Amino acid sequence: MTAYVLRRLAVAVVLVWILSVVTFAIYLKVPADPAGFLVDIQHATPAAIAKAHHQLGTDRPAVVQYGHYVWRALHGDLGISWATIGFAPNGTPSGAPVGHMVWSALLVTGSLALGGFVLLLLVAVPLGAFAATRPRSLVDRLSLGVSVAAISTHPLVVGLLLQLFVGNRWHLLPASGYCTVSRPSAAEIDAVRRFAPTNTPVPCGGVGHWAWHLVLPWITFALFFVALYMRIIRARMLEVLEEPWVRTARAKGASEFRVIRAHALRNAIAPVVTMTAMDAGMAIGIAMYIETVFGLPGLGRTTILALAGQQGYDLPVILAVTLVAATAIIILNLVADLLLLAVDPTVARRTGRGVLRSVGRAA
Amino acid sequence: MAVSNPLRVPQFDAGELDTPRPQGQWRLAWRRLKRDRVAFGCGIFLVVLVFAVGPGAPLYGKLVGHGPNDFFPYAVSVALRPAGPFTVTWDTAETADSDPFAFTHKPPPKGTGKTLLLLGADSQLGRDEFLRVLYGGRVSLEVAAGAALFAILIGVVLGTLAGYYGGLVDAVISRFTDLVMAFPLLLFLVMIGSLFSYGITRWTFGGLLNQGVFQLIVVIGAFTWFYPARIVRGQIQSLRQREFIEAAHMVGARDSRILRTHLFPHLLPPLLAYGTLLVATNIMIEVGVTFLQAGIKLPTASWGSLLAQTWGTILNPNPYNPATTQPWLTLCPSIAIFLTVFALNQFGEGLREATDPRSVR
Repeated sequence: MTAYVLRRLAVAVVLVWILSVVTFAIYLKVPADPAGFLVDIQHATPAAIAKAHHQLGTDRPAVVQYGHYVWRALHGDLGISWATIGFAPNGTPSGAPVGHMVWSALLVTGSLALGGFVLLLLVAVPLGAFAATRPRSLVDRLSLGVSVAAISTHPLVVGLLLQLFVGNRWHLLPASGYCTVSRPSAAEIDAVRRFAPTNTPVPCGGVGHWAWHLVLPWITFALFFVALYMRIIRARMLEVLEEPWVRTARAKGASEFRVIRAHALRNAIAPVVTMTAMDAGMAIGIAMYIETVFGLPGLGRTTILALAGQQGYDLPVILAVTLVAATAIIILNLVADLLLLAVDPTVARRTGRGVLRSVGRAA
Repeated sequence: MAVSNPLRVPQFDAGELDTPRPQGQWRLAWRRLKRDRVAFGCGIFLVVLVFAVGPGAPLYGKLVGHGPNDFFPYAVSVALRPAGPFTVTWDTAETADSDPFAFTHKPPPKGTGKTLLLLGADSQLGRDEFLRVLYGGRVSLEVAAGAALFAILIGVVLGTLAGYYGGLVDAVISRFTDLVMAFPLLLFLVMIGSLFSYGITRWTFGGLLNQGVFQLIVVIGAFTWFYPARIVRGQIQSLRQREFIEAAHMVGARDSRILRTHLFPHLLPPLLAYGTLLVATNIMIEVGVTFLQAGIKLPTASWGSLLAQTWGTILNPNPYNPATTQPWLTLCPSIAIFLTVFALNQFGEGLREATDPRSVR
């Protein structure tokens, strides 16, 4: 058991390392000059450009840069975003620390994915169970048809249509933007009112606002996965309902609702719990689309903005997002594997490569 | 010398006797597919679609007399709202407007012809939305089908090597497959697509493909070959131990001959079915990557860029304005993407069931 977990962790560490090397290699091939983050490349003197390179540390060999990055990352310092970096005359860097950026982005992506999964289970479990108890009924066929259609729908299409019609045209729900769970302080709101450019939205917060702004993203997220989950729950329920213990429960005189809820559904739902963790990789990919459409400052949007800026390739941010996303996926998969292990101890002997296999569904 | 028919039993020749001739697997599959009405209908839709976006797009362009990148400012109102479906507009690229405060366009000089925009104008530029959906579909399908072919090609080579030779080769290739599977595909697609705009991005093969198509084909293919590789490896591993392979070895057939004549025919049906599903996935990927500004670059239309048309780009999203927004521009590419992906998924499923020898239908 311990050996199994250790082997998984070793594989995970190797994977994260390779991902960081590839991310670094792409950075070395990018034609844009990182000195452009500090000086105007068109007009600056060669000495100024060389100084900018020296300050960013990009004048050293790639191996040294990489080693330096890994060393600092291991000490918990992910660096400062190049897009915001500035240097005091004595050489002290200032700017947005990447650790903070990624942490706040992770919270946004986390609330999107978590709420989406909760909504998904709230819809898929009752519908799947109901469809299984009445196979070939109208509800069953309807839910099957809807799920076939939902599988073929791009999350971008769902998101854009919901935003356009529900959000923008009918004004039923907020069409974009994000509110933090905690309320912003009066000083923060005042600062935005006074100093931010006009049309900057005033920071909002509180659980109510947070959930209200996330309803459309959650629906988009849930709709992409609901078909798959519903069909799996239905199939599992059909299997479980044939089991002898269900017959025994019925023979004992338990009500049909109790049979379904306490006896059948409990057993049918076990693999679904592990499946949710396994889908984490794909969820991050889907979240990238949803964050873009609805303007949520999550991991995906952070990455795209770091890539799409004038200078391109904000290396510290991109490396950090890649590492954090990969680590999150790997940890979730490990949890899924351990849950599966708790249910079925033969797994450890049967397969040695579960982590990698399931991570593969990333996006 | 054998006595022919010594008992004088009445004889039939082969033509008269209705012996059930063994049917080829393709014939059987075709019959099963025809019985599956949804899959067959989707197949017909796909054929029509391929003809519509292939030779159909330039033919329609000839018919209405303009191309997908021509501007028709008369199809956009003075308040910058694109015209809706079934618009007949003046066939000119410039307005005759002289008064900037007028509420309507000034009619063009006499002698200007008219032209039909079947689905209206695509944006403030006033291009033909229907033609752009057709040409965009061509680009999206090129990317999707090309990447699927490329992925299957890599998958077959690596899967065959791993499955047939086993041992160390298998171990190395399997680890490599696991590694590629673990890559966050979308992240790398966006990274590569949004940063590089030279070299492979510009390859068009003498105008055969649009710019950026080949790059997307290569990158998507390079990150999605693991699934066909696994299918091929599994198939070959299970077939390798069967008697007919043993027999072929025994009579002295070389490896290349065994692979070619005994193993590959078994791979074709599952790869065909899986390839169709892969094309559907690739269309989704192309749409997503182009929407995120990392795929096909404007002015070339693709379904992803048509979807992004109203929404804008991530650096400057278009603010929503009910007076200038045309919901058709989001609906048209949405419907096109949905129908195509749906048809490909259903057809792929049908194909898989029809070519499965264990299928009961």
